[in-house]
Amino acid sequence: MQRKTAKFKTLVAILGLAAAALASPARAETTLLNVSYDPTRELYTEYNAAFAKYWKEKSGEVVTVKQSHGGAAKQARAVIDGLQADVVTLALSYDIDELHAKGKLIPADWQKRLPNNSSPYTSTIVLLVRKGNPKNIKDWGDLAKPGTAVITPNPKTSGGARYNYLAAWGWALQQPGGNDKTAQDLLTKIYKNVPVLDSGARGSTTTFIERGIGDVLITWENEALLAVKELGPDKFDIVVPSLSVLAEPPVTVVDKVTNRRGTRKLAEAYLNYLYSDEGQDIAGKHFYRPTNEKVAKKYEKQFPKVKLFTVDETFGGWQKAQKTHFADGGLFDQIYGIR
Amino acid sequence: MSNSARIGPLVGALALTGLASLSLPAHAASTQDELEALKQTVRELQKRLEALDQAVDQKVKIVERKQELVNEDVSKKLKDAPTVTASNKGFSIRSSDKDFEFKLRGLAHVDYRAYDGDAHEQTTGNVPVATDGFLARRLRPTFEGTLFGKYGFRFTPEFAESGDGGAAASGDRRNNRVRVVDAYFDVNANDAYKFRIGKHKPFVGLERLQSGSDTKFIERSYVSNNILPNRDIGVSVHGDVLDKKLNYAVGYFNGVADGGDNFTSVDDNTDKDFAWRLFSTPFTGSGGILEGLGFGVAGTWANDSNTNALPRYRTPGQNQFFAYRSTTTANGSRTRISPQAYYYNGPLGVLAEYAQVKQDVSSSTAGVGSAELKNDAWQIAVTWLLTGEDASFKGVKPLQPFKFGEPSGWGAWEVGLRYQENNLDRDAARFADPTATNRPGFALGARTWGVGLSWYHNENSKFLVNYESTSLDDVTAGTGASAVLRGDKERFLSFRYQVAY
Repeated sequence: MQRKTAKFKTLVAILGLAAAALASPARAETTLLNVSYDPTRELYTEYNAAFAKYWKEKSGEVVTVKQSHGGAAKQARAVIDGLQADVVTLALSYDIDELHAKGKLIPADWQKRLPNNSSPYTSTIVLLVRKGNPKNIKDWGDLAKPGTAVITPNPKTSGGARYNYLAAWGWALQQPGGNDKTAQDLLTKIYKNVPVLDSGARGSTTTFIERGIGDVLITWENEALLAVKELGPDKFDIVVPSLSVLAEPPVTVVDKVTNRRGTRKLAEAYLNYLYSDEGQDIAGKHFYRPTNEKVAKKYEKQFPKVKLFTVDETFGGWQKAQKTHFADGGLFDQIYGIR
Repeated sequence: MSNSARIGPLVGALALTGLASLSLPAHAASTQDELEALKQTVRELQKRLEALDQAVDQKVKIVERKQELVNEDVSKKLKDAPTVTASNKGFSIRSSDKDFEFKLRGLAHVDYRAYDGDAHEQTTGNVPVATDGFLARRLRPTFEGTLFGKYGFRFTPEFAESGDGGAAASGDRRNNRVRVVDAYFDVNANDAYKFRIGKHKPFVGLERLQSGSDTKFIERSYVSNNILPNRDIGVSVHGDVLDKKLNYAVGYFNGVADGGDNFTSVDDNTDKDFAWRLFSTPFTGSGGILEGLGFGVAGTWANDSNTNALPRYRTPGQNQFFAYRSTTTANGSRTRISPQAYYYNGPLGVLAEYAQVKQDVSSSTAGVGSAELKNDAWQIAVTWLLTGEDASFKGVKPLQPFKFGEPSGWGAWEVGLRYQENNLDRDAARFADPTATNRPGFALGARTWGVGLSWYHNENSKFLVNYESTSLDDVTAGTGASAVLRGDKERFLSFRYQVAY
């Protein structure tokens, strides 16, 4: 009997060691991966450093946050295909919905977990033209003029490009006699003027600014303001259209990954910090519109006044907009055609 | 050359042509007007040319950008594509992030054995020992893989008939059945904490832990083959700590007899083996003369109750010189301990290890009783690479590989010298043959010296020849119909061709 007990203890000890070995990766992790969309590189570079400092002071732990950037749809696909993202900070909710629909990585109600439908900051879509606005572009309708080269990314891969598309469509609907047909005509003419379709917003910025292609870049407000700031106001002008779309980039923890890696608490703190005064301030500094009223007031002068509509009110939400416009065989495929 | 530069002369020519075609009027004002009109025409042409120039420039940039995007796309796809590799390390498919990999490797040994001496003169009986001839010693494909970066597996079947070279308790090998050599899963949490489950080498014997493709002699020593476990089924936790200067391992196994290789089926008893090992390489990275020194100690412990986990002891020629009677069982504790060391410096390699097993046995034969038997073995092997390569615990990479049928180097040549002993407890005799009738014969010790020559053609192919001379001690000659042990000498010449990848 004594021998049996000794053997049992030995077995328990071995199993304990084995369990510790299996459990140890989760405890040892102090890294996070933030999978984000294209133009947020600068924002999250500064934010990650600030969060690491904050977390060190709060918990004593050293945390390293890695970033991955690309077209929002491509990024979502990568996460569904196994990219081990602890958090995603993408351009629009549809792409994050896909993490639930196709990957079961997050719950269906993920957007209710954080304030403002999990969007810590907002933005909109504006037009960036070359200095002096040589093509005299004032509004969405001017993009359809023959001979105007328009730069915008591919809505199939880029969240920003889908906002660009919907902003023009929404504007067309608001014009006298505007309806889906006139909107489709406008978008058809605009996309005839698009010589290059990049996969993401930052790629289009490169095409327009660094490669010198095109007369106008349809882009995020933050991307346009950053370009003017970085390259000087003597090179580009921002044209604020009469009507644009309210962009609400959402964020979420990827439950399945963080639960497996044991990083959930850290990932949640990372996203919550986006809503703090410090996080909001960093967003404002990088030309994202803070949702915190106090911080928003501090930065309100840098943002042009623009009349905005939401995807929900004009298109019935992202799911419907996606299905109607951007799904395979949808209106975008008819507009752009197979080239 | 820009479009403007190219088209500029054309504009000039057009202007001159226009001037030449004018019929100069007599009136000066008219001439002035026409000149202005001409200038205007030139300006408009210039403007159109500039616009054309810009348009062409844009088209060129667009084409270049599109090509750039295509190149980026191709580069990304290539970067994300799995890598298929066929090299001297085997064949593999690996994901771009290296988290997933599947490898096919293999090890083949074809031997020729020739015997001399009087220790193995078989008279009658059907045990095929001590016959000269060819032997497929190992035919082992290995399937290895990595999953999610931290998880791995290895599966190695054995297609060679003789397996570990010994007689099989079940007789399976003689029926050409495939058996499993390794079948285990790994969880590699980090360098300091690794977890292995399945059939594998317990982390005990130094030479045993050396790959079968890297051993310096054709057969391993008495320490590996006759005392310490070969392979067993169980779990191990192991890792490198202290800046990778100390390797530790603990394991829990079904348990095997000395030199034993467990089958994959369920254990035949509830008694289990506990294995452990500490091995240090304290001078790693020092660059000094002791950099290649490693030493440690390992052991196993078990407490068996009437199991048949008792060994048969064999010579380097794989011939049995001692076996327990079938009425003898392991009954009580079995403790093994094995201090071990290696040293590599330039072409010199030294491997030394000792192992002792204390085995409680008892016999159901009347009058024999029980005893604690102390059996041990030791070896020291010295090798020297003649062609300038550095010796190591792992394989040899020839500086100038040898290629059959074409001008090449001579490969790597290595000579080796080994002395080894296996000493059995004098009390073991009564558990081997208590009746003194029809006895198969046995010896209570073996001393062997051997020399070896290895010719490494390249990293994957080598040829070895060994000569080993064994003297048996305290021989009790066989007298029965199946006696196999007669005399006290074995002289064993063996050749091996190895392919490993």
